[in-house]
Amino acid sequence: MSRIWSIGRHDLRVLRRDPAFLVIMIAMPLVMMLFFKNTFRLSLRAAGYAQASGVEQAVPGGVVMFSSFLMGNMAFSVFREHGYGTWDRLRASRASTGELLAGKCIVPIATLAVQTIVLFLAGAAFFGLRVRGSLAGLFLVSVAYWCCLTAIGLVLLAICRTIQQVNAAANVGGMVLSGLGGAFTPISDLPGWARTIAPGTPHYWAMRGYRSILLDNASIGAVLLPSMVLLVVSALLAGFAVYRFDAGDRKLSFA
Amino acid sequence: MLGVEAVRKCYGSHQALDGVDLTVERGEICALLGPNGAGKTTLVSAIAGLRRPDSGTITVDQRPVWPNPRSTRALLGLAPQDLGVYLVLSVRENLALFGELAGIKGQALVRAIADVAENLELTDMLDRQARHLSGGEQRRVHTAMALIHRPKLLLLDEPTTGVDVATRGRLLDTVRRLATNDGCAVVYSTHYLAEVAGLGATVVIMDRGRVLARGSLDSLIRQHGTAAVEFVFDGPPPAINGNVTIDDPNRVRVATTEPAATVANVVSALGSESVRLRAIDIVQADLESVFLTLTGRRYRADYETEASRGDA
Repeated sequence: MSRIWSIGRHDLRVLRRDPAFLVIMIAMPLVMMLFFKNTFRLSLRAAGYAQASGVEQAVPGGVVMFSSFLMGNMAFSVFREHGYGTWDRLRASRASTGELLAGKCIVPIATLAVQTIVLFLAGAAFFGLRVRGSLAGLFLVSVAYWCCLTAIGLVLLAICRTIQQVNAAANVGGMVLSGLGGAFTPISDLPGWARTIAPGTPHYWAMRGYRSILLDNASIGAVLLPSMVLLVVSALLAGFAVYRFDAGDRKLSFA
Repeated sequence: MLGVEAVRKCYGSHQALDGVDLTVERGEICALLGPNGAGKTTLVSAIAGLRRPDSGTITVDQRPVWPNPRSTRALLGLAPQDLGVYLVLSVRENLALFGELAGIKGQALVRAIADVAENLELTDMLDRQARHLSGGEQRRVHTAMALIHRPKLLLLDEPTTGVDVATRGRLLDTVRRLATNDGCAVVYSTHYLAEVAGLGATVVIMDRGRVLARGSLDSLIRQHGTAAVEFVFDGPPPAINGNVTIDDPNRVRVATTEPAATVANVVSALGSESVRLRAIDIVQADLESVFLTLTGRRYRADYETEASRGDA
């Protein structure tokens, strides 16, 4: 266990040296919320939420979309080791491959947590977001979504050979999945074909959970289904990634 | 400390290791010498538990490395061929990570960092980021990361590649001290012939995945080395009698135990061709001549790199 924390602490030190990406991933959704809040208000009111201010879509939408841009972080973290030439050194240490991967998940999950918490707090402080449903439910959906994004990161690590592939997959995948999942616009405004396939994305279930809490004032019971779906998908993806991952694969990276 | 027996490893159709046998005792420095592509890195990787051999056995302190390489990793320190340092972190942070992974904590870790930094003259730069260090200093940090937990078996894969003379000297001193004072067994792969003499190591000559010879430097030169005279011509060399090797379009090498007599005989036999003679080099019996005797080829470090085949 201590080796897992050592890897996690080490990654945190690396992040502290260059936190620009995280800062950008927090600042950008705040800017987006500012511009899209009014548009979302019209959309939500048309969907029957007469009291909606738009922030109920803008904040979770920003969280879901910009969190998904961080889903490659777990993979980036290992690719960075290849770039530094340290991956084989880590493998030759007493840490097992499982410990290395577990340690490599700590900072990506913590990063997602910081991003989510800051965006919800900023939403409350600057845009008037009020969480009338269950806070515990909000937390449960968030944790399940972080797990799912980290598992996707594991899959990217397992299947991508170059850091550019991870980058492209995280960005394009993040955009497409977020769009389909209802992060750009409420699900009700999506075209019919998109509404049909939306439940196939983790982002849909995260948005569904958040909307239940923020728009329907739901209790934790209402988010059990989306949270469970996200956790099951996480487990399946992580299982596939572990099966597919070969620690001896040479990854092309830059430090 | 280290036993390698009949180890084979293929990458596709390329035989990287072809029945390698090797033993290294406590306090012994074993220099793996061979050109790029000889199989040195593959062998070091197999010992470190990074690449599984197709067949054969590897033991460290009488424990088999495979199928469970973790069982021997506590005994190993590895400094791979390519520089492996976190450039954005300080030297101390680099060392601390590998100390922690080896299970060293608290004050013991602080002492271990101080000790290894002192050994490799890194004390003054412990709190500097590695990216601000010179190439030679980064190489010392790279080596220090392998030493932090005082391994019983140290694997150094071409540790002096690209470093200056002073850094090379320091690294060689450190390796000798570790073997002599700590009883550390060291496997030191290199393609620099000159380094081997400086290490006072047992020499293992590898080529194309095989161990060609093993012994002290003196014994190898005694057994396999021959002096020679090399004649360099302007254009293709003429026919010359004797034990002749030609692996350069303009150069002829004549193996001999009496260089002066050979020079006289060859020059007189050249006749009118002597006007094309540009240089005469007398080559003492050395490791290069040992390699030539064993392989029939002149020693060049860069015959064919393992990396170029994607299997380093």
